[in-house]
Amino acid sequence: MTRQLESHQHPHEVRRRVTPGSVVWLAVGVLGLLGLFGLRVATADLGLAVPNQLQDFLTLSTSVIVESMPFVVLGILLSIAVQVWVPSSWMMRFMPRNPFARRAVISLLGVFLPVCECGNVPLARGLIIKGFTVSESMTFLLAAPILNPITIITTHQAFGWDDNILVARIVGGFLIANVVGWVFSRHPNQQGLLTERFASECRIADAHEQRDARFSRSVDLFRREASVILPALFIGSVVAGGIQVLVPRSVLVTLGSNPLWSILAMMVLAFIISICSNVDAFFVLPFASTFMPGSIVTFLVFGPVIDIKMLALMRTTFTTRVLVQVTVLVALLSALLGLVVNALA
Amino acid sequence: MPLLKLLDGLQRWRGVVLASTVVVATIWLALTNQLILYIHPRYVVFTVIMAVLALVFIVASFALGRDGGDGHAHDVDHDHAVEVPSERQGALDRAVTVAAIVVSVAIGASLVIVPPATLTSATSDQREINSTGVGADVVSVDDANEASEGAFAAFTVLDWASLLRQSSDTSFYDGKPVDVVGFVTADDDDPENVFYVSRFIVTCCAVDAQPVGVPVYAPGWQDDLALDQWVRATGEFTTNPSRLSSQAIALDPDDIAVVGVPDEPYLF
Repeated sequence: MTRQLESHQHPHEVRRRVTPGSVVWLAVGVLGLLGLFGLRVATADLGLAVPNQLQDFLTLSTSVIVESMPFVVLGILLSIAVQVWVPSSWMMRFMPRNPFARRAVISLLGVFLPVCECGNVPLARGLIIKGFTVSESMTFLLAAPILNPITIITTHQAFGWDDNILVARIVGGFLIANVVGWVFSRHPNQQGLLTERFASECRIADAHEQRDARFSRSVDLFRREASVILPALFIGSVVAGGIQVLVPRSVLVTLGSNPLWSILAMMVLAFIISICSNVDAFFVLPFASTFMPGSIVTFLVFGPVIDIKMLALMRTTFTTRVLVQVTVLVALLSALLGLVVNALA
Repeated sequence: MPLLKLLDGLQRWRGVVLASTVVVATIWLALTNQLILYIHPRYVVFTVIMAVLALVFIVASFALGRDGGDGHAHDVDHDHAVEVPSERQGALDRAVTVAAIVVSVAIGASLVIVPPATLTSATSDQREINSTGVGADVVSVDDANEASEGAFAAFTVLDWASLLRQSSDTSFYDGKPVDVVGFVTADDDDPENVFYVSRFIVTCCAVDAQPVGVPVYAPGWQDDLALDQWVRATGEFTTNPSRLSSQAIALDPDDIAVVGVPDEPYLF
């Protein structure tokens, strides 16, 4: 019955790749790409007399986009893999039933899926569609950027075992992700945490599971995820680039040696700079001489999840209200962590 | 409703279009060896691989075509209902949606039109030169004491800047020739007489660029040099004659020559 209905609704499903229409689209698309490339080559030496500030704004925004894009692509590809190529039962089979143990295991998933935070957003979206609860996906989103091999290695390269920065980052990241996941699991209406748009996308995905051929579903998912994630990435980059040009860095650096202010300054810096968790340790290393270790840990725990770029990306999935709550919660917890490390140091 | 149809098409394809601009820009930058203007060299290979994979999916998206029409009507309806601004949305929502489209298209266009550039003195002013400490693998005073004269000539702005942070003992700098390349930024305290030969250090991408610089005492430098101009300065460090500058030691230049922008303008 279902089979019949499907073939009725999708008479061209199998052949659609070779219809004349699709050849035209392919030609248009490839010509468009070549056109873009030609435009890029032609404008390479354009003598634009752009004022310094504007020039730097463009350079900084571009650099955020160029730096994040590979991780976004990787995240989308992993999300496609999870949604289309991994059988539903397979991943759930290894998950403990107990919600606390389940979230604890989920927060370690980043070890196997080493994407940076921007790639985690499409992946987390894929996991929700695949059956994770909203709070579980949030645990994943908060933990994976910190508890993944690349981040751990780069943090170790930068700091070694100095001042317990590495240990505090790993343990703190794990705890914060699980606390936040627990808090949101208490919310009575899990679907209400999601944007209307994404929630309806989940329903569509439920209804049309297994309908299309796998390859065309993969490509379709790429197109959909790209159209959600890329505008958010672009806007996040523009805001991040703009703030870099407008806010003098010295305002933050002068606050460095006070136990409390240094933590707040580092959170603001992490928020503004919107840098990937895989490399933020190298970035913050030069600050280690002027800032207290607790504030470095706060930077390393707060920054991976909460920053301008990430909020823009996460807004594709969660409501503004939820994002404000997550931001406040993570800020308080990571500040607390920083104070503890400062007190021990 | 041609407008709604157009908006719908825009919504469907915006991801592919924006991705195309990034991929084209990335691949072109890599081919022309300019990707390092934006990211650290260690990410170049990874970035290019992911750009090529994205390109494959972009072309495949085109090959799968419009995707609507034949039996995929549910897709279009779905996109309509939730994405295209409808009567249900307020004017504010609609304005935000339109603004978001405009901003992302503008940035996408800038990716393929604006010529790539290095960061300028505008950013180094914002970030206060030599304000933070320096990275892990820099020269220490002890290392420098054992180095040969040839080694000093190869010292970069970063090497000297980190030595200057560690020691202001002029005897340490005696007989050590300085030969550095960087762009010109003015000293905050004594812009008339002192400028910096500066570079940006990049640990990940241009966003985290930190300016470092070697102060040069050259009264009236503004007559010959402009801000952001790339120069090669040679000479030796001595006590800074400037009374206003906070730098104890400055380069006493033998020669300051204007040079072109180096292939790798950032230090890594």
